[in-house]
Amino acid sequence: MKPLLLALLCVSLFAEDAPKKASPPAKQPLVPAGVEVDAGTLEILRRINAVGPYEVPDLRLKRETNYAHTSTDLEPYGGIKPYKEHFLTQMEYTGPGRTIPEPTDLKTVKIGFIGPIQSTVSIATGGKSHEEALGVKMLAGARLAIEEANAKGGYLRRKLPFELAVVNDNGLWGSTGNEVVKFAYTEPVWAILGTIDSANSHIAIRVALKAEIVMMNSGDTDPTFIETNIPWTMRCIGDDRQMGYMMIDYIMRKMQYKRIGIVRSSNRYGRFGVREIRDSSRRLGHPVAIEMAYKVGLDDYSLQIDRLQEANVDAIVHWGDAREGAIILKQLRARGMNQPYFCSDRAVSKEFTNLAGAAAEGVIAGFPWDPEARNPRFDAFRERYKKRFNEEPETYAAHAYDGMNMLIWAVQVAGLNRAKIRDILATRSKPWPGATGDIPFSAVLDDAGEVFLARFEKGAWHYYSREQLQIPRGYIPVRERVARGLETEEKK
Amino acid sequence: MKFLTTTALLLIPAVACAQAPAAKKLPYVYTKWKQFTKADGLPNDHIFAVKSDGDRLWVGTEGGLALIDKKTGKVKSWTEKDGLPFRVVTGIDIDPKTGDVWLALFGGGLARFSAGRFDHWHQLNSGLVNDVVYGVAVENNNVWAATTAGASRMNMVTGEWTIFTEKNAPMEEIWNYGVHYRDGKVHLAVWGSGVLEYDIATERWKDYLDPDAEMEIDLYRDDGIVHVITTGANYVDKVLWVSTYFGVCRYDGRNWRAFYNMDSGIPSDFNNNLRARSGNEAWFATDKGLGGIMDAATNTWVAYTRDPKSNTGKAIVSRDKTVLETVEMGLNLPHNYIIAIDTDGNDIFVGTAKGLAWGIGDGYYAGVKERPRIITENRSKAK
Repeated sequence: MKPLLLALLCVSLFAEDAPKKASPPAKQPLVPAGVEVDAGTLEILRRINAVGPYEVPDLRLKRETNYAHTSTDLEPYGGIKPYKEHFLTQMEYTGPGRTIPEPTDLKTVKIGFIGPIQSTVSIATGGKSHEEALGVKMLAGARLAIEEANAKGGYLRRKLPFELAVVNDNGLWGSTGNEVVKFAYTEPVWAILGTIDSANSHIAIRVALKAEIVMMNSGDTDPTFIETNIPWTMRCIGDDRQMGYMMIDYIMRKMQYKRIGIVRSSNRYGRFGVREIRDSSRRLGHPVAIEMAYKVGLDDYSLQIDRLQEANVDAIVHWGDAREGAIILKQLRARGMNQPYFCSDRAVSKEFTNLAGAAAEGVIAGFPWDPEARNPRFDAFRERYKKRFNEEPETYAAHAYDGMNMLIWAVQVAGLNRAKIRDILATRSKPWPGATGDIPFSAVLDDAGEVFLARFEKGAWHYYSREQLQIPRGYIPVRERVARGLETEEKK
Repeated sequence: MKFLTTTALLLIPAVACAQAPAAKKLPYVYTKWKQFTKADGLPNDHIFAVKSDGDRLWVGTEGGLALIDKKTGKVKSWTEKDGLPFRVVTGIDIDPKTGDVWLALFGGGLARFSAGRFDHWHQLNSGLVNDVVYGVAVENNNVWAATTAGASRMNMVTGEWTIFTEKNAPMEEIWNYGVHYRDGKVHLAVWGSGVLEYDIATERWKDYLDPDAEMEIDLYRDDGIVHVITTGANYVDKVLWVSTYFGVCRYDGRNWRAFYNMDSGIPSDFNNNLRARSGNEAWFATDKGLGGIMDAATNTWVAYTRDPKSNTGKAIVSRDKTVLETVEMGLNLPHNYIIAIDTDGNDIFVGTAKGLAWGIGDGYYAGVKERPRIITENRSKAK
């Protein structure tokens, strides 16, 4: 009984003492003025701010019933109920990082950029690198986002400027890993944007996972990039899976082509890019008639074209860089092969149309966004970009701009804590209102937004949604595969 | 004794035993734990590697290397100021012939700690294929390094290096994550390429891949590796154990068996690493606690977690998904995010994202045996 009385006395004493205490200082707002947050994000912020190092906050993890908008007839092993499905429940970070205090001795708030911006040796080509044209645009978009943030006051909690820490994605001997280690430990940044090459991106995210730092990707469309279960990895651009689904629906369901020939680069971009085209064709009952790979940088594709011709295909899909896509197209047409020509998004470039000339007319490419959409955010970005760089923004610049703005926003909301920056991005309740359109994250933190087909018509690319082209699609189920009956059972 | 000792407050009086349900075949449960953190002298609380070597315990952290004297509990540490070539130590192995300590440095290459001196190999002075080294293993006169751009092997006698990539090994991808040597075989856990087995005698490779070859599903539970993104592989008693971020599995040379959180006692499917003690027992470093399969034949697990709000922990004993026993105890793991594990004799050592745990295996036994349940349902009574 004594301890109880003592406790009551203590409560009473403190209760009497309470009014005598000095008024607490005015509460700092949870998020600095000028940073847009909705109630959902504020609640997440409260939760992650409240946990101790051993706790895992309830972040209202997303739970999806279908992976990547895959229709039932395109699901792998569609006639079999799989034992386990991955990627339906959002990944979470359960470590202690949320309680690491914000450092006090900073002069700038560094955000890392890794991308192919200088010529080097390429693993993909076995010779000269080939993605600098894309990387330079990516850097420009990222730089513009940083400059705009600084013009608005920088890191608003402490009035510190943002600084873009830039490294070249050399790619040789896995150097991307070394660069991310530097970003994590020796020249630390708060989050990283990068990169384009798929192999290098995979190397980067493995380091990011171990070092616990957000890696936002705005230029690698390899579907497997995000299929790694890493809670620190995000992507703000539509991937080759989504573009592949749309393209195969157009080719087979709408146009009724039955015999497809694929010609692709022999690197990871080509190998993984066509995977959904190849698999979906088979699942729809019309396996790809022929698939030919080539080494990047060739000028003569007669071997590949001979085989395509022998296979007597209805349509040809190319997955690779703009240069190779254009050269192959011209050589096809010169051979009198006038089949419809489909490409990956890298064809949508001046390099492609300049090289292909008149042959470019009618070419269709998958595309991760719609530059012609009436989007005031894109219009405003476009004006500022043109003013800053004296040129039109393209895909890599626009997506890097969006990705960098997402990182900046998360830093402003979460503060300087890598785990909280991750949480804020991962749990965003509404799609990011990007210059490239709305960017909603899936459970695996991939851009689950709409993708498009680009068609080169009368000297210009035009962009079409699935609805505009009236492309049919298969049934997208609302239940997980493991919760569904087998096809035969459902029929009963 | 600087380090904190917490021993579970167990009460197994004769009366309690008499009231307990009939004895079942149950596994051993670690109830005595010690913890080590920066407060005890570790250079950093983020533990990436642990390696027990008799009376010594080597600890690789995000901020340096540490050595714990098991007898005294004293901690000695090395950072870059002391000659450690790079601060982040992600793998440790001991050369049984010389006692040399080999270190995988995450962005710093490979180091050997011998007689108080660090020797350093990196991309620019050796055949190490990349400086981001995830794991290291000593195999006879060779030391293997699992790097982010392939595996490297150095002959410690001749100084000759061999690089293994997609050009001379069946690596679909070259992103090596873990390396382990035992009984004449080197196993590489390769992110995106499953597990590769190198037979020392024949110098031949064998690959283990996910048979369904799909990232988003596991078609059949027991058809092979659960996923190609592997994080660790251990080979003991001619049994291969594999950890992945999607579940774990076991291969006895004839049959595969997968284990998921939904069908076993493993705390989570996200596994950073593993340590196999035998063909029947293996431990998994998950993001939600420590999972030990104590009897593979019966799918009997013990999952250890700490209470996030108090200095207590518990162990859940389960078979398939049926909980057989819940053992509450004092603090066991410093944190539930587990990164590295080692076993030595009866003891277990666990590296977490916020400190190191040492489970003392007094009375340890392998497998399961009939014993009364450990009565700790009401800790207040125990106290």
